[in-house]
Amino acid sequence: MVQDIFLGNYTSCVAARSTNRAILAGSQDGGIVTQLFAFALEEGIIDGAIVAGPGDEPYRPRPMVATTVAELYAARGTKYNICPNVSFIKEATRSYGLDRVGIVGTPCQMQAIRKGQLYPVGLRDVPDKIALAIGIFCMENFPYQSIVQLVEDHANTKMENVVKMDIGKGKFWVYTERGAVIQLPLKITHKYEQPGCHVCLDYVANLGDVSTGSVGTPDGWSTVFVRSKKGNDVWSKAMAAGCFETKPIEEVKPGLELVTKLATEKITKNRKTLEERASFGVAKGLRNPYI
Amino acid sequence: MSKVIEISPTTRHEGHSKLVLKVDDQGIIERGDWLSITPVRGIEKLAIGKTAEQVPKIASRVCGICPIAHCLAGVEAMEASMGVYIPDDAYLLRVILQCANRVHSHALHNILSLPDMYIPGTDTKINPFTPEEPVRSVAKRIQRIREIAQTIGEISGGECIHPSNPRVGGMYKNLQPRAVSKVYDLAKEGVVLARDHMEFMIAVFRNYQKRDWAEVGGMKVDIPDTLGYHNQGYMAADPLYGSSSLDENPRWDPARWNETRPWDWYMGEMEITDDYPEYPIGGTTPKGAKAWPQMEACTGVPLYDGQPVEVGPRARLNVFRGYDEKGTMAQQIARSMEFPDSFYKIIECCDALNTSASVMADEVPQGDGSLGWAANEAPRGCDVHLARVLDGRVQFYSMLVPTTWNFPTCSRALTGAPWQLAEVIMRGYDPCVSCATHMIVVDEDKRLVAEKLIQ
Repeated sequence: MVQDIFLGNYTSCVAARSTNRAILAGSQDGGIVTQLFAFALEEGIIDGAIVAGPGDEPYRPRPMVATTVAELYAARGTKYNICPNVSFIKEATRSYGLDRVGIVGTPCQMQAIRKGQLYPVGLRDVPDKIALAIGIFCMENFPYQSIVQLVEDHANTKMENVVKMDIGKGKFWVYTERGAVIQLPLKITHKYEQPGCHVCLDYVANLGDVSTGSVGTPDGWSTVFVRSKKGNDVWSKAMAAGCFETKPIEEVKPGLELVTKLATEKITKNRKTLEERASFGVAKGLRNPYI
Repeated sequence: MSKVIEISPTTRHEGHSKLVLKVDDQGIIERGDWLSITPVRGIEKLAIGKTAEQVPKIASRVCGICPIAHCLAGVEAMEASMGVYIPDDAYLLRVILQCANRVHSHALHNILSLPDMYIPGTDTKINPFTPEEPVRSVAKRIQRIREIAQTIGEISGGECIHPSNPRVGGMYKNLQPRAVSKVYDLAKEGVVLARDHMEFMIAVFRNYQKRDWAEVGGMKVDIPDTLGYHNQGYMAADPLYGSSSLDENPRWDPARWNETRPWDWYMGEMEITDDYPEYPIGGTTPKGAKAWPQMEACTGVPLYDGQPVEVGPRARLNVFRGYDEKGTMAQQIARSMEFPDSFYKIIECCDALNTSASVMADEVPQGDGSLGWAANEAPRGCDVHLARVLDGRVQFYSMLVPTTWNFPTCSRALTGAPWQLAEVIMRGYDPCVSCATHMIVVDEDKRLVAEKLIQ
């Protein structure tokens, strides 16, 4: 078990991608979440997974309980705005009738789930039904209106045209249907971020069973941290079944160094925000949610 | 010369109540009063001015054992006042919820009433918590039955305690096919357990019926053949679910209902003249203490056709299925017979449920202030909620809960039994006292002034 103040506790860290071409075709990077859920579904490790499914508007995700691989496929890819997956955690065990639930979420959502498992207020009979929680790396999130603004006003393309969005190499990328690639410097996107994200001290989803993200590995690959016993169990089974192609993280560029760098950046920056908030206002500060 | 004995508080049931008993020299009850001493909940007053959506949720908080019955009765009282007709599939979900609640509640009550009973063929009382067989496997079966019922309730109602899904106009969500099959499988498992359990419970109760004596706190007491007999009538609105003022043929009639004050009904101030420290759980109230049932009772006394009536499993079987056995054990047996029925009904509903249908009414009128009532057959009997809703706000709300009906009836049934068995008779009603407590008005002379509920 590796213990790192920025990267959390993990048993192993690898660069991986799915071996399934169909998953890779629509995935953000290595298709880790889709592949792992698909494997867990087929193996009966989970009955269903709460994922960010398609919503009413383009790139506006809605939580969805996927109980088939086809439904999982519909939820591939990152949408870069808010999807309240945790709000479905109870319903999944109720009207969906699931006994073993998988859930994917950002670091804050992982925190909510773990807190819910510790203090199941309003979550009766839910904690023991969470079978697999996959965390995704997150620097910050955007409200849907921000994404519309960025795509339609800064990237000058209609939301309907977009086939993929990505953040990487210091830029926000928009890929359109007709092949255009628009890149916006992250300087522009900063003011559209959700202010609530600026107090978050977790970059790599320290509380997930498995956490994954694109940072640290080449295009088309993902960095995977296997953290818990449950996560390790699923991951090793999936590996044995040949679901993933992996490389040791030390052999890929830019490697863990970049992950650590970004995590340090995020956490240091947000610590500063927390300190500022502590002295905000007259004779009183805003509460630090981490204390 | 008659003596006065008080058992306070009574144990192994929900809420706080006590028994004030006037007994003769042989220890036989001449007149008994069973009354609620639970503090007032005040739900009916809290409800006024709230929205129709809120009130059933508040009403369900009156008790944690049958919140489902109160929630459903509340929701349906709102619907009755507003004139909302719910889709068939929402009704099926509610029936599933209702049955789940009934099973879990009856199973819980078994744990409470078993310690009075004997293992058939022996003189050993049953301790449901003993690790020894055959009781151990019975206790485990009860736990499993409750677990099944609560899980079914959770799926169809969102929560098994204080269900979140019943809404004015239907249900929050229909079930997914997978959830329906889960409910079906659980009910199938439950049917088998319920049948075994029913047979065991009936054997235990029949055995008690045949016994000549029982031991209570070291005293050997003769069990009369007429234990718990009374000549009051029965009231039930439905064999399983309920009825409301929207029905074509409503099976409950507010015109036949009348409420009187405990002042008119219970005994006056008395001094306790006898005590038995060896009576289980702390003995009876010491000599010299005062009892004043008229003043202490925290309930109204509802009358149906001018008389107190019995509600509950036996009433349901009596009214709808011609079950005419009298007495406490018959009541317990009737309760046991409801186990398999409930599971069969759940299975039926699962088969009938259309998982792709809407479970919300298309149109929900906001109410014109007319009186609506809904009677829900809670585990303990007919639970009637009455409401007036005007423009979505509740103007008037009243809950006529099962144990309120049973208080005066059970008081009558105590007569003729040895006082030591008074609690056995009382437990036959599966009392759930907390919801039975009502607001009362006291004037300057500390006399109760009846609250007129329906203008």
